[in-house]
Amino acid sequence: MATELDYDRSLHDKEHEAGPFEVTESQIQAFSRGIAETNPIYTDPAAAKAQGFKAIVAPPTFCTIMVHQVSLSDINLKFNGVPMGGGMHAGQRVQSRAPIVAGDALTASSHLKDVYAKTGRSGTMVFIVWETTFRNQHGTVVADVQESYVRRG
Amino acid sequence: MPYFEDVELGDEIGPLETEATDDEVLEFCHVWENRGPNRFTDQALAQEARLSGPIVPGIMSMGLMARLLTDWAGAEALKDLDLVFRQPVPHHKPLTIAATVTDTRQEDGENLVECDILMTGAEGERYVGGKAIVALPSKP
Repeated sequence: MATELDYDRSLHDKEHEAGPFEVTESQIQAFSRGIAETNPIYTDPAAAKAQGFKAIVAPPTFCTIMVHQVSLSDINLKFNGVPMGGGMHAGQRVQSRAPIVAGDALTASSHLKDVYAKTGRSGTMVFIVWETTFRNQHGTVVADVQESYVRRG
Repeated sequence: MPYFEDVELGDEIGPLETEATDDEVLEFCHVWENRGPNRFTDQALAQEARLSGPIVPGIMSMGLMARLLTDWAGAEALKDLDLVFRQPVPHHKPLTIAATVTDTRQEDGENLVECDILMTGAEGERYVGGKAIVALPSKP
């Protein structure tokens, strides 16, 4: 039987904007403690300055904690005419483009990147991928983050 | 920190032996502004979500896995980390994070090392897997 994936395809072209989010020293230090990160460049302002940064540096996946602050649209997913709700976090990708340091103000811009179905022994799963680009106060892209969610048919 | 010229296909990176404690997960959830209680911090809510106990957030597992690579290659070396969350990661269980080099190449003036990366449990559970790219310096 042919399968049909239906969703709001206009969301591929719609940017969802959020921010600015101020990156604080205490946020970076708390994030670092959460992942037991001890590299002084992430925790100690003096060590970061000694390496040429104006403040402590955020670990490379730091932006992931800000993605959920972007309000995303419902894609109104239907598979073979049946609405599919819920969803589990299936995967995450972070591409680091430039350092993020304490004192930066980041803005986020998210759009629907991909929607695709996979059928296996346990049935059909539909993957929804959102991509968020983070820029700092200078307009420099600092990271691209992709989040994948899976829904079962 | 390794030099690009010293890295070969098949080289092993790590392992990093770690675990996620309740306190670390709680602190992570606070900075994430997902304070809960939720399935990451609360036994009853985890069981409502059909889990045996509270789990580690996926993005926290990602942070732990990034640590393996920044410990190895330096704080700014990680360019790309692409992960699939295969199984829920429990609190207070031994976690082993390791990577294997699968490609080395020079691209746009950078020395890139690509690897497969995996977080496993003591019973062989394959919790999180994926690919990573780090940039390394050349020998002086």
